[in-house]
Amino acid sequence: MGVGILASRAIRPASRLLRSQPSNLFLRTIVSKPELQSPEAAAVSQPEPPKNQILPPRNPVGGARVHFTNPEDAIEVFVDGYAVKVPKGFTVLQACEVAGVDIPRFCYHSRLSIAGNCRMCLVEVEKSPKPVASCAMPALPGMKIKTDTPIAKKAREGVMEFLLMNHPLDCPICDQGGECDLQDQSMAFGSDRGRFTEMKRSVVDKNLGPLVKTVMTRCIQCTRCVRFASEVAGVQDLGMLGRGSGEEIGTYVEKLMTSELSGNVIDICPVGALTSKPFAFKARNWELKGTETIDVSDAVGSNIRVDSRGPEVMRIIPRLNEDINEEWISDKTRFSYDGLKRQRLSDPMIRDSDGRFKAVSWRDALAVVGDIIHQVKSDEIVGIAGQLSDAESMMVLKDFVNRMGSDNVWCEGTAVGVDADLRYSYLMNSSISGLENADLFLLVGTQPRVEAAMVNARICKTVRASNAKVAYIGPPADFNYDCKHLGTGPDTLKEIAEGRHPFCSALKNAKNPAIIVGAGLFNRTDKDAILSAVESIAQANNVVRPDWNGLNYLLLYAAQAAALDLGLIQQSAKALESAKFVYLMGADDVDVDKIPKDAFVVYQGHHGDKAVYRANVILPASAFTEKEGTYENTEGFTQQTVPAVPTVGDARDDWKIVRALSEVSGVNLPYNSIEGVRSRIKSVAPNLVHTDEREPAAFGPSLKPECKETMSTTPFKPVVENFYMTNAITRASKIMAQCSAVLLKK
Amino acid sequence: EEKKRFSIQRLNKHQMAAPFTLRKIGVPPNSANLTEARRRVFDFFRAACRSIPTIMDIYNLQDVVAPSQLRFTISAQIRNNAHVTDPKVIDLLLFKGMEELTDIVDHAKQRHHIIGQYVVGEGLVQNTGSKDQGKSDFLKNFYTSNYF
Repeated sequence: MGVGILASRAIRPASRLLRSQPSNLFLRTIVSKPELQSPEAAAVSQPEPPKNQILPPRNPVGGARVHFTNPEDAIEVFVDGYAVKVPKGFTVLQACEVAGVDIPRFCYHSRLSIAGNCRMCLVEVEKSPKPVASCAMPALPGMKIKTDTPIAKKAREGVMEFLLMNHPLDCPICDQGGECDLQDQSMAFGSDRGRFTEMKRSVVDKNLGPLVKTVMTRCIQCTRCVRFASEVAGVQDLGMLGRGSGEEIGTYVEKLMTSELSGNVIDICPVGALTSKPFAFKARNWELKGTETIDVSDAVGSNIRVDSRGPEVMRIIPRLNEDINEEWISDKTRFSYDGLKRQRLSDPMIRDSDGRFKAVSWRDALAVVGDIIHQVKSDEIVGIAGQLSDAESMMVLKDFVNRMGSDNVWCEGTAVGVDADLRYSYLMNSSISGLENADLFLLVGTQPRVEAAMVNARICKTVRASNAKVAYIGPPADFNYDCKHLGTGPDTLKEIAEGRHPFCSALKNAKNPAIIVGAGLFNRTDKDAILSAVESIAQANNVVRPDWNGLNYLLLYAAQAAALDLGLIQQSAKALESAKFVYLMGADDVDVDKIPKDAFVVYQGHHGDKAVYRANVILPASAFTEKEGTYENTEGFTQQTVPAVPTVGDARDDWKIVRALSEVSGVNLPYNSIEGVRSRIKSVAPNLVHTDEREPAAFGPSLKPECKETMSTTPFKPVVENFYMTNAITRASKIMAQCSAVLLKK
Repeated sequence: EEKKRFSIQRLNKHQMAAPFTLRKIGVPPNSANLTEARRRVFDFFRAACRSIPTIMDIYNLQDVVAPSQLRFTISAQIRNNAHVTDPKVIDLLLFKGMEELTDIVDHAKQRHHIIGQYVVGEGLVQNTGSKDQGKSDFLKNFYTSNYF
């Protein structure tokens, strides 16, 4: 404003200017120096930095660690005068990251292939005629890289100007405002004024499904989503159509993004072109409080950040964890949060004589349950923990039921005969990140795509990176990588175990074979035979070695690993049929018809799902976003959830309810605080107390006795029919209902 | 002295128009020693108990409480401060008690205030003790809220 007005003022009354120039302080002459005219001239006039300057030490960007695969092969480059050692194949951008310099970029992503089409990462390299795209240029020994010279800055300003030319003025209505790469980088690296006076182009929006909202006018054609979909998700849904300013990202045919990792394009897109449809227009990112916690929708335990505003969860974002979920989460994890607001149990209820539920106070509800539990015999008491239960509540439940004299307490998903003596028999022994080292996968009775989407993403990454082969035994299913279908049932498994199948040669030649067995097989009657066949395959092909353990079991529920570690196993098959008092702690997958008609059922949970309709007393508990609970994932990694929002209504934490019930029933449990429960857990399963640590199984298959049973011929059935509706929270979620109606392959 | 002893006056319908100007807050300050303070405490208690029928009439507490229960509550609140020995402090407490009593008799409070502060609810002596006497801190906290 100032210079323009001064300039116009200077033009008009010329005579006044000539007279008053020396004494008028508000006018000044406009001067320009050669350094300000062009970047090359500015570079020439800059003073040389003094040689042998002691530079302050620098840390890599984000506190990252640099892994030298071959320490002899390290090369030295100079970034802004600072010498830094990098491994041989590093690009200039990665070398600058090691040196602590964060170079702006739009199309480059550390987990995707290099595109080099945004040109924002241009830096000046000595002895190079023009600035180089640092994301694509390999770092050569002795290279001198300069990132803050006028040429580099002018390049960035120019790129930003081009990007903003066709970008709509949508910031007030764009969901990405406040967390937009374009906004941040234009503030940091862009010029302060634009020169664009023509018409902007606009692009028609594409329909990608009920999860991803597209406003393609905002797209800057960085192709991150295209590369993500084809590389990480394994589906070639998206592509770039057209050329030049008419380029559009879309599915060429009218196709929806049905992949289970489709929500991650929302995080990847640097602008507001792809945003979350359920979260559209709901909140701005600065009014949300982020809580770092763990997801419990499957047994992977992906690290998430729950963004909440007050008592409401607004959205769920992934957190970086290199070992488990890298930077991705599945759609179920990301979008099932709106189920936390529907069908919530908030008051204790007792079923009246006319069959309807009546809300009562905690005193009355616990008094009623405490009375009834003393009227039944000890072995008629049954406790079932649900798939979302945390380790503390399962410990207190087991202690309580045991003190009442009964041994019938188990977690749903573990059928009769599953023994938890040896941990290797129910954990993912090669760890999820260790699956990257495998070169042959044999999937037995499991569909990782729907059971544990992050494990599937890891297999896809391995297949892509090192050309690993995958073969599976089970019902025919869609996989997003090439795999061979060997058979549908135990017959194929027997053939491989006896060495008659052609696949055995591939198994023998593989250096690191991995066998993944699904936990759905634990529910079969011939489970022992099948598992011993798998172990004989493992033994014959050197799958279990000191340096590589490839025998993996993929669990289905978040609570299963901790339940098996704590000893919640089903001892007798008749326990449920002869029960008179059934305590369901969030257990909705229990077959309600099996519970006798005269049994007294107490349901403790957070959603009014299936089992509530059979209950006689309802005790409201807190969901995983509202409590601090310990969960163990399928590889044995213990993690803790953190409360992000307050509990709903009069609900209490699960372990507190069972502890209060035990006190009302006259059983004195020796703890009354969470530390007490944890010290009790420490004496049973100490690995559950060491959070953020993985405890591998101590013994291998050599200790198991021989199995005499025979396998039946029923083929393996899929365990998860509907990926989007597997637990109480997802069944109550409207977004999941939309997804299962629209996105499932029929 | 007569005026001082029966210092609470029931307002008739004419005086109701100007309720807060006619009342007399009858406890003068400056008791000389502990004995005089004690005497004033008992006078206050008597005045309060004598105004119980008026209170039950004003706020329609006939089916809610018995007069003996209200007497018990008043005496419990006085007994709460039984450990005080300084006459000046006793005078101040009496002043506050008298102020409260005057407010109640003047219908400056409402029924729910009386019920909540003197009949039912936590913190009142008759309520603590019957249900939760033998229970542990854990259970008491559990019944109150989830966060403890």
